[in-house]
Amino acid sequence: MMEHEFKYAVIGGGIAGVTCVEQLSALCPDDKILLITASSVVKAITNISKVTSILEDFCVVEKPSVYISENCPNVTVKQTRVTNLQAQKHKIITDEDEYEYGKLCVCMGGTPNIISKNCSYVLGIRDTESVQEFQKRIANAQRIMIIGNGGIATELVYEVEDCEVIWAIKDKSISKSFIDAGAAEFLLPQLSQDKQSSTGSAPTKRRKYTIDGNKFRDIGHGTGTALGPDWSEGLLLKGLDKISHNVKIEYNVEVEAVMEKDEYRITLTDAEQDALSVWPVYVKLTNGTVYGCDFVVSATGVTPNTETLLKNNKFEVAEDGGLKVNDKMQTNILDVYAAGDICSAFWNPSPTWFQMRLWSQARQMGSYAAKSMVSHTRNQDILMDFCFEMFAHVTRFFNYKVVLLGRYNAQGLSTNYELLLRVTKGKEYVKVVLKGGQMQGAILIGETDLEETFENLILNKMDLSQYGEDLLDPNIDIEDYFD
Amino acid sequence: MVIRTYNEEQQYLEKISSCAWKIKKGFVPNMKVEGVFYANDALEKLMFDELKNSCHSQGFGGFLPGMKQIANVAALPGIIGKSVGLPDVHAGYGFAIGNMAAFDMGDPKAIVSPGGVGFDINCGVRLLRTNLSEKDVSPVKEQLAQSLFDHIPVGVGSKGVIPMTAKDLEEALEMGMDWSLREGYAWAEDKEHCEEYGRMLQADPAKVSMRAKKRGLPQLGTLGAGNHYVEIQVVDEIYNKFAANKMGIEHKGQVCVMIHSGSRGLGHQVATDALVAMEKAMKRDKIEVNDRQLACAHIRSQEGQDYLKGMAGAANYAWVNRTSMTFLTRQAFAKMFHSTPDDLDMHVIYDVSHNIAKVEEHFVEGKQRTLLLHRKGSTRAFPPHHPLIPVDYQLTGQPVLIGGTMGTCSYILTGTERGMLETFGSTCHGAGRALSRAKSRRNLDYTDVLDALAEKGISIRVASPKLVMEEAPQSYKNVTDVVDTCHAAGISEKAIKLRPIAVIKG
Repeated sequence: MMEHEFKYAVIGGGIAGVTCVEQLSALCPDDKILLITASSVVKAITNISKVTSILEDFCVVEKPSVYISENCPNVTVKQTRVTNLQAQKHKIITDEDEYEYGKLCVCMGGTPNIISKNCSYVLGIRDTESVQEFQKRIANAQRIMIIGNGGIATELVYEVEDCEVIWAIKDKSISKSFIDAGAAEFLLPQLSQDKQSSTGSAPTKRRKYTIDGNKFRDIGHGTGTALGPDWSEGLLLKGLDKISHNVKIEYNVEVEAVMEKDEYRITLTDAEQDALSVWPVYVKLTNGTVYGCDFVVSATGVTPNTETLLKNNKFEVAEDGGLKVNDKMQTNILDVYAAGDICSAFWNPSPTWFQMRLWSQARQMGSYAAKSMVSHTRNQDILMDFCFEMFAHVTRFFNYKVVLLGRYNAQGLSTNYELLLRVTKGKEYVKVVLKGGQMQGAILIGETDLEETFENLILNKMDLSQYGEDLLDPNIDIEDYFD
Repeated sequence: MVIRTYNEEQQYLEKISSCAWKIKKGFVPNMKVEGVFYANDALEKLMFDELKNSCHSQGFGGFLPGMKQIANVAALPGIIGKSVGLPDVHAGYGFAIGNMAAFDMGDPKAIVSPGGVGFDINCGVRLLRTNLSEKDVSPVKEQLAQSLFDHIPVGVGSKGVIPMTAKDLEEALEMGMDWSLREGYAWAEDKEHCEEYGRMLQADPAKVSMRAKKRGLPQLGTLGAGNHYVEIQVVDEIYNKFAANKMGIEHKGQVCVMIHSGSRGLGHQVATDALVAMEKAMKRDKIEVNDRQLACAHIRSQEGQDYLKGMAGAANYAWVNRTSMTFLTRQAFAKMFHSTPDDLDMHVIYDVSHNIAKVEEHFVEGKQRTLLLHRKGSTRAFPPHHPLIPVDYQLTGQPVLIGGTMGTCSYILTGTERGMLETFGSTCHGAGRALSRAKSRRNLDYTDVLDALAEKGISIRVASPKLVMEEAPQSYKNVTDVVDTCHAAGISEKAIKLRPIAVIKG
């Protein structure tokens, strides 16, 4: 007999949704939990699950692992698309069926913004499906254009080899949302050097994510789960030519028009047409330059995936299109919570935290939303998870480790701050944001070994004025000093 | 603060043996006792260079040289014996790291200072043995490292694998390793081989603030980043066969695992909270100190007692943390070698703390006294026959685990009677860096970065670029020099040397 009533339901099989379900399952092993996902479910690759059987021999209680369908008997996974939500009736309606829930968490992520929706030469890159498509196309490409200045664009520009890349960004420095202009200057030389081949034998320090479940059914565009960390590892992102890096950056531009070959040719004079080098697609930028290329990648962010939910429910929506949530991850609608890219944090945040649509925050929100739902069911008080006290994100750009802590770009501090800086070309970039002598944030690029110390200094709120720039003097073992 | 020339400063310093110097009263104001620091020739040069630099105002402003810090500690109320600088002594917040100071519990004016314990309360080292050899582990080194990374999360923001609720944390703060034992994460024998048996009884979770608990909850069982690490090591040298056998070390090439970690964010918050509370109390109780960072309180005061109870809670947390990582390490190895931790003989050799304050009984001028010992960057080293060390080490003395900086060699020492007399049973903890301005180059190669970063009204202060370690070896007090000095001074004896073959860190 088909189950239709569930204590908890989660919509979305990406990192936020899966983490939410993991946490719910761990907290309520006896309650029925439903996970609805339009695409395959993300799972974390880990050896932990295999530890479970050994542990049982020693009579140690081990919580369920992350292989949802295998190890969490109280979780039902349905791969189907949600067509409607009747929140007042606590009902979810899908392509195939209807379900009732006690509490619901929506983790439906965001739909990639594509600069030109109808052109087949413009590829959005946001989820694993689009990455696979990209891989196919790049193999036959000599030149591509990448539009966007966020994390995906930054990583992609570096990863692509044997193909000319035109990188068009609307800012005056690269990777603006992640790093500052100084760090951008520091990283740029990497683009003119050969790409470092990744050492496959070195152990990875992070959990790896991949796709579990059935082969992807074409349910509809924009329903894939977002890319997790290390998404480009193991992928062959090579073009036709035999050059390592060949990147040209166009600053302060946006796309004015995208034209296919014939569409563009018509606009030219006969002489110009004859002189034209032939490409399948042409992009005109706002600075007047026109580039021809094999295809265009649009890595220009996402729009929260709220269309279906807003059909019949009066959710409060933020300016960026996300569902507003309070400090308990609740939307304004009873028993509906939201986590990950689909939500917009609308509480008064700690001075050193802010929302950014990252996989790490998706994971934190998914976990916290689950705890929140359970505590409300049990009428218990809940304190916000400490991860919302200070922003922290670790990633890799251009083959450097990048650690971002707190208000690393002095976000929200107007001009009321000062910076400490230490740079060693080609090795490391350390920038600290100080306000009133207290560390508010830091950017650490390279193997600095400072992240733990700085995390502690930010959270300790210690007055560092007496140290001045000696704080960053490499002759002082600063992490030992504060040990 | 009196500014003297380097020559003038030297009047207060006297070499008392081939490896020890005395710091006379007057070196800094208000010294109640003398200071002493241990150093061989190489380390001595570093200590004096550091002092010389600070005299010539090429010092580091907010960072005092180690010698001055040792002396400032000697000026604290209630200090007894000497303010001791171990061979690895180097600049730290408040007390130098590698500074031991004891305070007479019978003196109502005696103080306790969080700077004398450190922010990372109960940062310490645990060593596990195995019955594996290097030849067993070398071929699968990478897979083993990966297995450890899978079990032990690393890096800032990493989340623990072992489930823990707020209630669990409360119990862990109170019970230390007893909590781990109850939950099935530890073997009973592990407790025996741990300082304080892995639990300080005076811990009171109520004296650990909510913020500290919040910082601690997600970090349990994670390795964070920085100088904490898990190292797979092999026995490189055996200096004392008898002691080694008692520790279960039979031969060179035997594989061990060293876990170096502490109480992380929780410890930091406990220390920070106490420093704030004590700064206020110092005005009320009219306590004067030479350095603001030496914020302290009378041991019997509310603030003093609150801190000691909170500190004990944080210490318990650190033991639970090392125990959790022991558990995860055992699983990783068992899985790797298709065996069980028991069959692999993965016992805890010992677990020492090098950032802690302890109440201990010692003889001072022939009389037994109860003292509060601050060991910051300093390890307890009790001699043979001491009642507080486990039965199997009664004849050898307490094992002392010295982790070099990650990637360099480590040592196991044993405690001595002489150490008991000279340093109240304390010895070094590892390596260290002296403050050094040598060969610092002002590399202006990054003007383009500065230009890009410049913004109206924002001050940007620039520090010198980072020198690669190889270029500045002279500021470095390496662990071998440090350990040899302790051995020469007779305050602890070398037993075993270990060399790393793989390291797990953030």
